[in-house]
Amino acid sequence: MNRSLVTEKLTAIFRTVFNDEGIELRDDLTANEVANWDSLTHMLMIGEVEKEFSIKFKLKELGKLEDVKSLIDLIEHKMNS
Amino acid sequence: MFLLAASYYFYINIKPVYALLLAGVTLTTYLFTNLIAKARSDRSKSLLLTGAVVLTLLPLFFFKYFNFVNEGIFTLLNYTGLHLSLPHLSLLLPVGVSFYTFMALGYTIDVYNEEIEAEKNFGIVALFLSFFPVVMSGPIERAPNMFQQFKGKLQFNYEMVVGGLKLMLWGYFMKLALADRLSIYIDAVFKNADQHVGSSLLLATLMQPIRVYGDLGGYSLIAIGCAKVMGINVIPNFNRPFFATTMSEFWRRWHISLIKWLTDYVYTPLSFAFRRYGVWGIVIALNLTFIISGAWHGAAFNFLVWGFIQGLALSVEMLTRKNKDAFEDRFNLRKRWWYILFGCVFTYLLFAFSLSFGGDAATVPEVLHIFKRIFTDSVHMPYKDGDTMLYGFLAFSIVFLKDFMEEYYPGRVLLFNNKNNTVRWLSYYCVIFLIFYLGIFSGEQFVYFQF
Repeated sequence: MNRSLVTEKLTAIFRTVFNDEGIELRDDLTANEVANWDSLTHMLMIGEVEKEFSIKFKLKELGKLEDVKSLIDLIEHKMNS
Repeated sequence: MFLLAASYYFYINIKPVYALLLAGVTLTTYLFTNLIAKARSDRSKSLLLTGAVVLTLLPLFFFKYFNFVNEGIFTLLNYTGLHLSLPHLSLLLPVGVSFYTFMALGYTIDVYNEEIEAEKNFGIVALFLSFFPVVMSGPIERAPNMFQQFKGKLQFNYEMVVGGLKLMLWGYFMKLALADRLSIYIDAVFKNADQHVGSSLLLATLMQPIRVYGDLGGYSLIAIGCAKVMGINVIPNFNRPFFATTMSEFWRRWHISLIKWLTDYVYTPLSFAFRRYGVWGIVIALNLTFIISGAWHGAAFNFLVWGFIQGLALSVEMLTRKNKDAFEDRFNLRKRWWYILFGCVFTYLLFAFSLSFGGDAATVPEVLHIFKRIFTDSVHMPYKDGDTMLYGFLAFSIVFLKDFMEEYYPGRVLLFNNKNNTVRWLSYYCVIFLIFYLGIFSGEQFVYFQF
C-alpha cells in the first residue's frame, strides 16, 4: 500500500471519528488543531486504524507520536514489518 | 544542591521520620530507572517496571488503605465466623506522600517508555521528588520539565521573582479571603446538617466548589509562584474552571496536573487495553480512571461514588457528542451568551452536587439525605451568618470578576501587569489590604495536605 492510499484511508477514519467532514490531513497536523481530537477520541481513532490496516500498535509506540506524519510513518513501518 | 538541602530541611521540619520515607522512594526510583534503562530485553524491563511500581506504591497504600483493608477484610471474615483482627493503626498520612509517589511513578514509566533518559545524577532525582514548593500538595510535576530546569544554572531573574510574588499574592487572597471564609459557613452547616434547613444545605453545597477552588487553586498559585521566585517554572493547576461549559472541558481546567497524570498513566493504558471494544472500551477506561481517582481521594465508598459520577458524566457527554454538535450547528448556538451561561451553570451544579460525595464528613446515605432535604425543605430562609456571607461574597466577586475578564476579555484590564507604576502598585496594596480585611488568620490547613 503506498503512502497516498494510507493517507486517504486515514483521512476517512479521521473524518468519521472526529466528526468533521472537512478534515484534510497534513504531515504536521496535530491534535491541537482538530476540534474533537482529544484523549477520548484518540484511542477510538487508534482502534479504527488497527482494524483498517490490520496492524497492532504497542502503547510505547503511541506515546512517541507527535503529528500525522509520525502516525503514517508508524502505520507504514508496521505494515512492512 | 542548595535547593535540595533546603527542600529536605523543609520536609524534616514537618516530621523528620517521614523524610526517610521520601528518601526511600527516591532511592527506589533512582535505582529502578537506571536498571530499566540498562536492561536488554523487553521482559526484564517490564519486570523491573512492575517491581518499581509496587515498591513505590507500597508506602502510599500502607498509610492510606491499611485500616480500610484491615477493617474491611476482618468484618467480612467475621460474617464467616472467623473472629480475627489486626490492631487499628492510628497513622498520620505523611505529608505529600501521594504527590511525590505520583511524580516518582510518572518518571519511572517515562523512562520505561523511553520518553526520557534515566537520570544518572542522584541529586537531580532527589530534588525533583522533594522540591519544597510542590512536595506537599502539587502541582504534580513531570521529570522532563523539571530535570531540564534543575540542570540549568539558577540565576536571579527580576521578572520571574516579581511574577512569582504576584502569583503568591493572588494565591494568598484566594486561600485566606475566599476559601477560609467560605469554610466557616460550609463547616457550620455540614457539621450540624440535621439542624439546618434545606436552603442552608443547598447554599453550602453550592459554595463547596468555590471553597476548593480557593483552597487548592490558591495553594497551587502559592507553590507555582514560590518556585518561580527561584527561577523554576511549574505547570499550572487551574484554568478558570467555572467557565467550562461541559464536564469534559471542566476536567481540562480543574486540578490539571492530577488529571494529566491520570490521563497519561492510568486512562491511556486502560483505554489502550480496551480499545477493541470501541466506544464502550473508552467508557470503561474513563469510569475506572475516575473511580481510581476517587479511591485516591479517600478510602471510603462515597469517594468511589464521586468518581463514578464524574466517569458517568464524561461518558454521557462522549456518547452524545455527535448529536450535540449537530444540534448546536443547526441552531447556531455555540456563540450565544445564554447558551454558554446555561452550559457553565449546568456544569457547575453537576460538579457541586457530585462534590458532596467527595468529602470525609458524609457517608453516601447521609449525602442522599442532605439532597432530599435540599429538594423538600428549601422554602425557609437559609441560615444567615452576616459577616461570613458578606465577606465571602465580596471575595468571591473579586475572584470571579478577575477570572471573567481573563476568560472573555484577555488583556483588556491589566492591574498586576499594568504598565503604569501607580496602577500596578495600587493594585498590589489593594489586594494586600483585602487579604487583611477579608482574610481568616486562624491557621486553617490546606485541604489537599491530607492527601
